[in-house]
Amino acid sequence: MSTNLDIHHLAAAYALDALDARERAVFEAHYPACVICSHDVREFRATLAAMGEASATPPPADLRARLMQEIGETRQLSPLLPGPVAHLAARRRPSALVLAAAAAVLLLIGLASFAFGRSSNDDRTFADALDHVLAQPDARLIELTATDGTGGRVQLAWSATAHQAALLADGLAPAGEGMAYELWLIDAGGPAPMRLLDPAADGSLRRTLTVDGTPVQWGITIEPRGGSPAPTGDVIFLGAA
Amino acid sequence: MTKEMRAFRRLHSAATATSVAGSDSLARLLAAAGRGDQAAFGMLYDELAGLVHGIVLRVVRDPSQAEEVTQEVFVELWRLAPRYEESRGSVKSWTATLAHRRAIDRVRSEQASRNRMERDAAGRPGEVESVGDIVETSLDNARVRRALGSLTPSQREAVELAYFGGHTYREVAVLLQVPEGTVKSRIRDGMIRLRDELGASS
Ligand SMILES: [Zn+2]
Repeated sequence: MSTNLDIHHLAAAYALDALDARERAVFEAHYPACVICSHDVREFRATLAAMGEASATPPPADLRARLMQEIGETRQLSPLLPGPVAHLAARRRPSALVLAAAAAVLLLIGLASFAFGRSSNDDRTFADALDHVLAQPDARLIELTATDGTGGRVQLAWSATAHQAALLADGLAPAGEGMAYELWLIDAGGPAPMRLLDPAADGSLRRTLTVDGTPVQWGITIEPRGGSPAPTGDVIFLGAA
Repeated sequence: MTKEMRAFRRLHSAATATSVAGSDSLARLLAAAGRGDQAAFGMLYDELAGLVHGIVLRVVRDPSQAEEVTQEVFVELWRLAPRYEESRGSVKSWTATLAHRRAIDRVRSEQASRNRMERDAAGRPGEVESVGDIVETSLDNARVRRALGSLTPSQREAVELAYFGGHTYREVAVLLQVPEGTVKSRIRDGMIRLRDELGASS
């Protein structure tokens, strides 16, 4: 097993594609937010590209025509939406102090919803889950930004190693007749449906989520009540993972 | 396509491409390709085909399979072009990463992996084409040669078995019969030295 110290030393092996699948997944969850590792990965990749150039070998000449024909029939992916993700590589991990302060606020919110009446087991469970996520060394606090004039606020506390996230939203407008909010985990393969979200009458929402995979972004759309396998509505909230 | 048409489309792409300010020409070509400009993509191919095929060929070895993988890499580059972010590294660096990843995916099936282990265990180091040899024979790139020469033999061996042999560091440890931690260190120290020698900036 990798210890937390080891993980910062995996950038070279990662750049060489010399990690096994499990370690690769762990490192990919770690490095975008790690100043040291993201820097190392960029530099090692540039180094390998420079070496690759020295051994450049032209492919057979007829490949070009076949390739051009194939791309003429190949659909391109949609661009990632601008905004938070552009800062993904540059973003620094929040300092312990900021994290602690934010955690305290989130805990207060969580506990307040527990204290103020809606005191079901769900609320207690949510507060515990939030507490658990925030206690993880790789806990991330993500603010999903409203991409249009939509009101409301959505925050997500997420730990890759705990495979768990806690989602807090307030001030959400009703999704509309026969519609529901749907949360998407967006990775290199595109968006995967995470969860249908049904805000309370006051527009608030507290949910714990099991998270597998390595999201690049989180997004929320409005979908038909039963949910969709792929997003059909506009992305109304979006945040870098 | 006639020569004239191609020339015209190149001009057209170049004009389109220059309208994107502030990035290098490969980034401009990729941005144009990301908007569906096939002629720009063709120019990008002309710039990057040697880099991609060189990497793929060293990992995959079999020329006809390598050709397939090179084609796959460029189709992937086309599909992903709208998502390229400069924050993730230069176009060259990103492309080399895609190429190596694809080549590794091709050879890292279980059977293929077993065969490579047997081959590299039996024939090492003669069977494993040395990075040094590649550089000697294909291009007199003095900087790369000097950088490789600055590695210790064991660092160089570990880096080559991982990058060109397509082995994980655990497999390299088995091949060299040394502890995994030792291989990790050799790989890391070797890559740091290469980076420092090549002064590579992303
Ligand atoms: Zn790190």
